Amino acid sequence: MANTNIKTIAIIGGGTAGWMTAAALSKMLLPENVSVKLVESEQIGTIGVGEATIPDIANFNRMLGINEQEFLVATKGTFKLGIEFRDWGKLGDRYFHPFGGHGVDMNGIDFHQYWLHSKQNGNTAKLEDYSICSVAAKQTKFILPDNNPKSVLSHLRYAYHFDASAYAAFLRNYAEQRGVVRIEGKIENVNTHKETGNIQSVTLQNGHNVAADFFIDCSGFKALLLEKTLDTKFNDWSHWLPCNRAQAVASERVEPLPPYTISTAKTAGWQWRIPTQHRTGNGHIYCSDFISDDKANQILLEGLDAKPLGDARTIHFQTGCREKFWVKNCVGIGLSAGFLEPLESTSIFLIQQGIARFISLYPDGDFSEVVQREYNRLMSREFTQIRDFIILHYHATTREDTPFWNYCRTMTIPDSLCHKIELFRAAGRVFRDDQELFSKPSWIAVLLGQNIEPEVNEPILTGIPISDIQRSLDSMNNAMKHAVSRLPSHAEFVHKYANGVNS
Amino acid sequence: MNLNNIKNVVIVGGGTAGWMAAAALSKSIGTKHINIQLIESEEIGTVGVGEATIPHIKYFNRLAGLDENEFLRQTNATFKLGIEFVNWGKLGDSYVHPFGPYGIDMQGVHFHHTWLRQKHKGTAKPIAEFSLPGLAAKAGKFQHPRPDLKASPFSSMDYAYHFDAALYAKYMRSVAEGRGVKRIEGKIVKVKQNDKNGHIESLKLENGAVVAGDLFIDCSGFKGLLIEETLNTGYEDWTHYLPCDRAVARLTERLDDLPPYTRATAKEAGWQWRIPLQSRTGNGYVYCSQFISDDEALASLNKDLETPAIAEPRLLRFKTGVRKKTWNKNVVAIGLAAGFLEPLESTSIHLIQSAIARLMTNWPDKLFNQHDIDYFNRKTQAEYEQVRDFLILHYCATERNDSPFWNYCRTMDIPKTLEDRIAIYKENARLYREDLELFSSVSWFAVFNGQNIEPNRYHPLADILDDDLMERRMAELHRATQRCVEVMPSHEQYLVDLCKS
Repeated sequence: MANTNIKTIAIIGGGTAGWMTAAALSKMLLPENVSVKLVESEQIGTIGVGEATIPDIANFNRMLGINEQEFLVATKGTFKLGIEFRDWGKLGDRYFHPFGGHGVDMNGIDFHQYWLHSKQNGNTAKLEDYSICSVAAKQTKFILPDNNPKSVLSHLRYAYHFDASAYAAFLRNYAEQRGVVRIEGKIENVNTHKETGNIQSVTLQNGHNVAADFFIDCSGFKALLLEKTLDTKFNDWSHWLPCNRAQAVASERVEPLPPYTISTAKTAGWQWRIPTQHRTGNGHIYCSDFISDDKANQILLEGLDAKPLGDARTIHFQTGCREKFWVKNCVGIGLSAGFLEPLESTSIFLIQQGIARFISLYPDGDFSEVVQREYNRLMSREFTQIRDFIILHYHATTREDTPFWNYCRTMTIPDSLCHKIELFRAAGRVFRDDQELFSKPSWIAVLLGQNIEPEVNEPILTGIPISDIQRSLDSMNNAMKHAVSRLPSHAEFVHKYANGVNS
Repeated sequence: MNLNNIKNVVIVGGGTAGWMAAAALSKSIGTKHINIQLIESEEIGTVGVGEATIPHIKYFNRLAGLDENEFLRQTNATFKLGIEFVNWGKLGDSYVHPFGPYGIDMQGVHFHHTWLRQKHKGTAKPIAEFSLPGLAAKAGKFQHPRPDLKASPFSSMDYAYHFDAALYAKYMRSVAEGRGVKRIEGKIVKVKQNDKNGHIESLKLENGAVVAGDLFIDCSGFKGLLIEETLNTGYEDWTHYLPCDRAVARLTERLDDLPPYTRATAKEAGWQWRIPLQSRTGNGYVYCSQFISDDEALASLNKDLETPAIAEPRLLRFKTGVRKKTWNKNVVAIGLAAGFLEPLESTSIHLIQSAIARLMTNWPDKLFNQHDIDYFNRKTQAEYEQVRDFLILHYCATERNDSPFWNYCRTMDIPKTLEDRIAIYKENARLYREDLELFSSVSWFAVFNGQNIEPNRYHPLADILDDDLMERRMAELHRATQRCVEVMPSHEQYLVDLCKS
């Protein structure tokens, strides 16, 4: 790349964030121009949550030029069409948050307005019955989207479930092949410049010094550089997202292999179920103010649908994000930047955004103020928007069966979210703000899935006869059912697709 | 059926804004359940600037159900592939802001990064040679885009129109009336408001008639009869950023070989437009009265006309800015009643169209939910600010120091939002598009680059391609673009054929 005087970049930490960053930089930067090093210690474990993803991950893999089949084999991956939420709005509720939208918008009016209108006139079909992803997920079927835009299967969107440690290992191999140098060692000291405060090097336990022009902090929750060295403040969001612990355990694979994540609300948190090819990932996220670790463990084990493989691991965390993500010559990516619980599988996406923005704002040696400010503005917006969407799940509930839910139901929420809910409650309108990650259909799926119903119908629909609307809706639903009936099962598709690599 | 549904819509004013609103609402909402009336007076003239448009107008025409050939005939329209800016960055400069991207994106980054890579190397051809609409514009050629030819430059080009705004309003009127909109002739003498909430209840006309409504759309022009004169909403003045406050306009005979583009030439104290129609040419000098007198401006306009004048000059006064709220109580202001931004990027008609679309999205009932109104106002404000920033860029990114006007523009304070954008482009050639922003990153690049802002670096992804391969691809792209221009028919001929059909 043209005239930048950064010659060495050091990535501190080698979990998912570290190796994703290393892989991306190794693709972008020629080793003869910039040398990229990654320091990690085998003694420090990685967190490796976030085995479920959202569709954007495919862009990251594509940018690296990774073959999808090889990726699925290496990471024991499966496909994901959305998330089923159980017991969130109230006990006994179930709804599906699909990738892709619902139905087809007509005359410039959102589909869900037509559905609401038809529901008031006796239509009993659920909103998700008009989502191709949801219809396929419920029948545990899968296929790749059809390229023909006329096909109903062209609306299909998907992401993956995979083994995050295997993904990190896969990307390590990728990065090392492209010249990234891995340095084994624990960091003992961080050395900064007396006047500028910039980081100059890190000293390892074995006495070695690793110097660089730029540092990327992927050291996880402890944020070795951003927090410990550069003293960057953390915005605590635990009053909005009070869960602070997770216990995770794997269990045996379930049949038929589901192409979706399940998230079940519990008494003081929620539990995930993430199916990969060889096993199922499970985790119980909870708030320790409301429940003991032992009780949480008992709930986790009772919620498994197959035999556990080993004992549960406990992870402590605090929800929130840094006040700044780029300070001096250091950017924090991954858990060092912030943590939002994996309810909507956004952890890996936030890593990916951190990387993409760092690359597009790639600095010169002088670390221009405006570039840092822009990076911080964009990342802070990203975290805030996702935060609001996650809070919605906790807050939009009528559950009053435990103190935890009483807290969530009655807590004060951010103004930005409050405004969104009110706008929806008035006439069912949702607007996507400023390049927000979650699109209109996602907000609609959760708002309606958690029983927030608009007070009045979209006034503009008044003139259209209800029989016409119902006919359009029925034909959409029929087209989806028909298309899905001919699809292979998810298990069968994964098996064939993964084997295609070896043949 | 919701008893609170709006039953009576009253549009005040029948210029371009009023009749566009009437045509769109009568099509999308219909006049079966809602009664739409438009009040206008033949005594009050319309401003009808904004004869040049941007590609989004096509969506509006489609929504209104217009046939393109019919529209071209009815409004004496020509095609527009972009705007040529002359003398902006410095005297003697010229660049085209084309409709449609340059080249094609490679390695997942915008084309301009790859072009900048070549430029750093010293092998780059002028950027203009990678824009099919830009080249076709200067060659006087036109044909419709071919989105079906996926890899061809024909697939991504775009276009808009130049047309006679008065004829367009007339055409819209016939469409709206055909769909049941009722036109009422008369001057409004009294506005009656609700005692409690201040909502407008009815309007009294000179002849004594009373027109009642649930929702009022104020298309009364600069004065803002309802939004300002009645509701005192307030106006945010932006003349410190965009100091031009007058225009003198004059029609001249048509140009030979109709050019398919608008020309905007920077002058001593403003700029002059040239908009070619089938029947005539629109010209106008937009200027700042602090720096030049009306007489001097007229003399300067006359001097630069290319064809003989066919009408007397008209003087227009304006103040750039936006209404503090464009939706206040049960009044929605659209067109000049909402705000004014000079026509440098032909956005006037687009701002009308966008307000209509937003109103339909946030269509109220009689309860007038405040959340919807707040949202509408927030989005309108953002839209005007984004367009404003883009316009300011044309004035501030200049080396001109040949007149006090340009000395002011070159050194004036600019909004922080724009300042950051320029700084970020200078640093990494990075362009970003905010929240559904009207002008794409390609447009921003066209003006940055056209007005000589040089970035320090380009995106690292542009370096991934092997050097030989990159050079080869760029050469192929260049050849393909030239070839497309060669085979394109002349604009004049193409237009004649279409209008006959």
